[in-house]
Amino acid sequence: MPVAASAIYFLNLRGDVLINRLYRDDVGGNMVDAFRTHIMQTKELGTCPVRQIGGCSFFYMRISNVYIVIVVSSNANVACAFKFVVEAVALFKSYFGGAFDEDAIRNNFVLIYELLDEIMDFGYPQNLSPEILKLYITQEGVRSPFSSKPTDRPVPNATLQVTGAVGWRREGLVYKKNEVFLDIVESVNLLMSSKGSVLRCDVTGKILMKCFLSGMPDLKLGLNDKIGLEKESQLKSRPTKSGKTIELDDVTFHQCVNLTRFNSEKTVSFVPPDGEFELMKYRITEGVNLPFRVLPTIKELGRTRMEVNVKIKSVFGAKMFALGVVIKIPVPKQTAKTSFQVTSGRAKYNASIDCLVWKIRKFPGQTEPTMSAEVELISTMAEKKSWTRPPIQMEFQVPMFTASGLRVRFLKVWEKSGYNTVEWVRYITKAGSYEISLMSRANGNPPFLAKVELDEFRFLQS
Amino acid sequence: MAPPAQAHRSPSPSQPSGKGEVSDLKSQLRQLAGSRAPGIDDSKRELFKKVISYMTIGIDVSAVFGEMVMCSATSDIVLKKMCYLYVGNYAKVNPDLALLTINFLQRDCKDEDPMIRGLALRSLCSLRVANLVEYLVGPLGLGLKDNNSYVRTVAVIGVLKLYHISAPTCIDADFPPTLKHLMLNDPDPQVVANCLSALQEIWSLEASTSEEASREREALISKPVIYYLLNRIKEFSEWAQCLVLELVAKYVPLDSNEIFDIMNLLEDRLQHANGAVVLSTIKVFLHLTLSMTDVHQQVYERIKAPLLTLVSSGSPEQSYAVLSHLHILVMRAPFIFASDYKHFYCQYNEPSYVKKLKLEMLTAVANESNTYEIVTELCEYAANVDIPIARESIRAVGKIALQQYDVNAIVDRLLQFLEMEKDYVTAEALVLVKDLLRKYPQWSHDCIAVVGSISSQNVQEPKAKAALIWMLGEYSQDMQDAPYILESLTENWEEEPSAEVRLHLLTAVMKCFFKRPPETQKVLGAALAAGLADFHQDVHDRALFYHRLLQYNVSVAERVVNPPKQAVSVFADTQSSEIKDRIFDEFNSLSVVYQKPSYMFTDKDYRGPFEFSDELGNLSIAAESADNVVPAQGVEANDKDLLLSTSEKEEIRGATFNVSGYSAPLYDSSAASVQSELAIISSTSAGSAPSSSLAIDDLLGLGLSAAPAPEPASVPPSLKLNSKAILDPGTFQQKWRQLPISLSQEFSLSPEGVAALTTPQALLWHMQGHSIHCIASGGHSPNFKFFFFAQKAEESSNFLVECIINTSSAKAQVKIKADDQSTSQAFSDVFQSALSKFSV
Repeated sequence: MPVAASAIYFLNLRGDVLINRLYRDDVGGNMVDAFRTHIMQTKELGTCPVRQIGGCSFFYMRISNVYIVIVVSSNANVACAFKFVVEAVALFKSYFGGAFDEDAIRNNFVLIYELLDEIMDFGYPQNLSPEILKLYITQEGVRSPFSSKPTDRPVPNATLQVTGAVGWRREGLVYKKNEVFLDIVESVNLLMSSKGSVLRCDVTGKILMKCFLSGMPDLKLGLNDKIGLEKESQLKSRPTKSGKTIELDDVTFHQCVNLTRFNSEKTVSFVPPDGEFELMKYRITEGVNLPFRVLPTIKELGRTRMEVNVKIKSVFGAKMFALGVVIKIPVPKQTAKTSFQVTSGRAKYNASIDCLVWKIRKFPGQTEPTMSAEVELISTMAEKKSWTRPPIQMEFQVPMFTASGLRVRFLKVWEKSGYNTVEWVRYITKAGSYEISLMSRANGNPPFLAKVELDEFRFLQS
Repeated sequence: MAPPAQAHRSPSPSQPSGKGEVSDLKSQLRQLAGSRAPGIDDSKRELFKKVISYMTIGIDVSAVFGEMVMCSATSDIVLKKMCYLYVGNYAKVNPDLALLTINFLQRDCKDEDPMIRGLALRSLCSLRVANLVEYLVGPLGLGLKDNNSYVRTVAVIGVLKLYHISAPTCIDADFPPTLKHLMLNDPDPQVVANCLSALQEIWSLEASTSEEASREREALISKPVIYYLLNRIKEFSEWAQCLVLELVAKYVPLDSNEIFDIMNLLEDRLQHANGAVVLSTIKVFLHLTLSMTDVHQQVYERIKAPLLTLVSSGSPEQSYAVLSHLHILVMRAPFIFASDYKHFYCQYNEPSYVKKLKLEMLTAVANESNTYEIVTELCEYAANVDIPIARESIRAVGKIALQQYDVNAIVDRLLQFLEMEKDYVTAEALVLVKDLLRKYPQWSHDCIAVVGSISSQNVQEPKAKAALIWMLGEYSQDMQDAPYILESLTENWEEEPSAEVRLHLLTAVMKCFFKRPPETQKVLGAALAAGLADFHQDVHDRALFYHRLLQYNVSVAERVVNPPKQAVSVFADTQSSEIKDRIFDEFNSLSVVYQKPSYMFTDKDYRGPFEFSDELGNLSIAAESADNVVPAQGVEANDKDLLLSTSEKEEIRGATFNVSGYSAPLYDSSAASVQSELAIISSTSAGSAPSSSLAIDDLLGLGLSAAPAPEPASVPPSLKLNSKAILDPGTFQQKWRQLPISLSQEFSLSPEGVAALTTPQALLWHMQGHSIHCIASGGHSPNFKFFFFAQKAEESSNFLVECIINTSSAKAQVKIKADDQSTSQAFSDVFQSALSKFSV
């Protein structure tokens, strides 16, 4: 059994039940008490998302200010259970129009009850796709609970489409203007030493699509990925065009993509769902173009003073620019006073997160702004508790830039009526976990002073 | 009709009791029930919403059941759904009221709108009231034949629900064969998937009683069914795909061609966006190729990339699930991620459960080529703010050191940890250095120099302290100060809370004594004296053992305590390979996350006695049974079977007879063991070498006379009991009735004692060793009840004891009755000391 969930609970942070659904009788009704006493009220909370209490296992996830708890009594499939919760939350969000939190649940509890009945029956996941469910689960009370219009009865043949051959798309859609929007969103994860050497780096990307197309269109997407290009040149027996090709480590697709055809021909072809969806996800570890390099120097001048200098270099094209750049430079807890000099943007000290926060709203390419700050510390008695030097963290968005270098080469749309489509493509690169270490490996702080070279030597010998 | 609204139980005082609101609702609903005015549905909706919201926050609104049913005659689907929800919630607790709903639900099951038919059928099957099952069969039969697939999917699960309410009704109505037919023929994939879920459950449960069912269960994993499902796999929803793949993983193909066919068919599933599908596919691949070694290796190569993607995408909880699976894979094939170790570096903001698994992965993938990088990274984490993660990192470094041949560099790192002067870092590092020395004694010189400089006062954790003391003993010849450090530790014997540390201290002092006798002699005496006076049984026994060993022959003692040691080559694995294989069989399930096979956490027998569900489930029962026990004492006079409630009688009688059957030989042996301690000491001191033993004692400054042996903690009871006491049950009952309770006390049990009580017999043997005999016993975890008796050694004065032990609270309630009231306190002390020594 992938998941035969016995119950699902939605709790707020205090542990009050917002809504719950018992699917099976094989667990007691007081399971939520068990969760409260054995997990929420102990230090266990957050130490592990799967816990066994008695004969039951609890899977829980926190999403904004809500805990979602699934209780099972059998040897369930963990990955499936978590994926179910994630999908269910996505479904609720699409119904509520964005936020999923305690208030949204309280305002829509009737709707959630209905959805909980449809997406899972007797503990087995059923249909979770918003496109289909929205055809027959309608509560026009959703937007304003007290507006009163008589409900339309669901289209009688809606259920036929619930499980039809193209489960994700309704027939008979008509748009005046046929448009497709493609968003390539990449997030860069980086760990860099303070001297600028890359310790770990990868890019996770996704292609988001918004389709407003009539009828049952067939789409084909071409990227500049290596395998696809090679296959193409093989088929057309002409050499690959010069230019950058990207090696994707791994790709996953939305269920609408014909995987067999991808495996044989390496083309991404599909009949898209209507509206917004995530077409594909990919991962890249080689040949990543980092948008920023950060060079920090931190000097501890005695016990009560510190000097922080940070230089940031934008390494994308001069015509491009990054938006919403935020650099968080950690400082010790006992920081008393700070003074700054920045060549661009604004900086201030945020005591609640123990960081100097430097914000640059618009950051052009090929520039090198710097910040120098002086930090005064209160001298404390607890000398031994030395500062652990957390990493510098960075947030940014760079439009029209992909860290992987991925480009859309073409997007073809076929429909039997032969209409023209307008295609829009956007690229954006965001910071995932973009961290610059301030630790010893970089600047030779204790505890591994000088020993490092020696170790290296020994390793070479062996 | 509806019961009065008295049954409210508002969950917290802050919430409205709901009493007024409920009666309000009731009258409003009544007004609406008959009305056909336009716009009435909207007012109904608002009211229904109110009812449901009360229900959600825990106010009992079952009082309006009748009115809700009356209002349900509507064509508004939203109203209907709310009504179904309400009915489903209260039907189980109000079976009589549920009957009211049958009518309208049955009518709705024939509605022209398939949505309504489906919803009504689902609600009908969710009532879960056993005496209504007869009404289910008809609508279910129609539902399975419905021309709308939505109704059929609901009906299929409905059959499963019916089976759980009343299995015979489901089987008699011939539903399983119908489901099988649907599974193999229905055009709708969700119907097929639901049939598969239902049939798997029904046939697995039936299989234990019916041979046909077990044949049918086997037939599910036969070639035709598997091929049929595989050929349709792309039609299924992602969840149904998981279900099918799980089934395919159980299938045993005939030859390798079949295996390759299946794998080729499923390969594209590895690209699926749903991680659960990917993991299920991986399970199929791994299980299919178990017997084909080289293909199996290729599978590992193939699944690597999708797995790494799953780790880095999705929520931390999902990564956690995937990392657990990676861990079991890397244990089986360490090479698989060796070059991808950087994927397991921890990110600063990750939750600690993910970090912890990543550390385990780093430990597991470390090999000669990547050790340097991994250990460098791990050392960074040792300074982490999150102390548990810092500890785990140090342990990880240690584990890697124990795996590798070239430990040179790692030893240096560990020694640097010792110099970091953070208590927890020092503690973890000490334990690791100890393990390292056991495996690589050649490093002793470097390590000891550093260890020697650690002040024992800075080490508080028992494990670390024990490790430090072990090193002090083992390498006392190399450590200048060893005897003196041991001496100061011995001086603080009383303050040392951990028995483990005291045990190690005893042994270390002994070792040190043989290496550096003149300096250690005094400490040894002090340690042995302190050990003999220790209240912990093991410490006491070990001290006594060393003492006698020294008295017997010093050179033998040296050979026992300080034998030439061999380096440990491999530390014992905590898990047997059989268990690991079972976990692997259950790949893609909770077993992997818990790292134990499913029977260990789903089988009731395997869970410990202190588990929560038992506790929770039995709370009320336990309270009741305690109540039952106490009044039983009150009405003892006219209770013929005083000792036993009638239900337990037979069983316990048997047990009692058993005890008396085995009693004779046991009495002798227990008597012997009682005296053995004294006997040995007197024989050695008086007989073989009196002078030498005296000399040793003098040498050690123990200041003990040769006999009797010191037994300060277990003070020999002033009261002597007859080890061969006899009392027949009839007399016992008579006496119990006649005598007043002279003492009633509550004792605590040691955790070891509680653990040992899993077999109540153990307590009986144990108490017999202390000349306290059992005459009757009974009960089930967590409550046990025993009746004991004892007799004074010289005269035939009896003590009778009733002892009720609750294992979950680790308390024993003891009632003592005695012929001679004046000695009952003394006996109570004896009883308590005997009980406190009870352990595994």
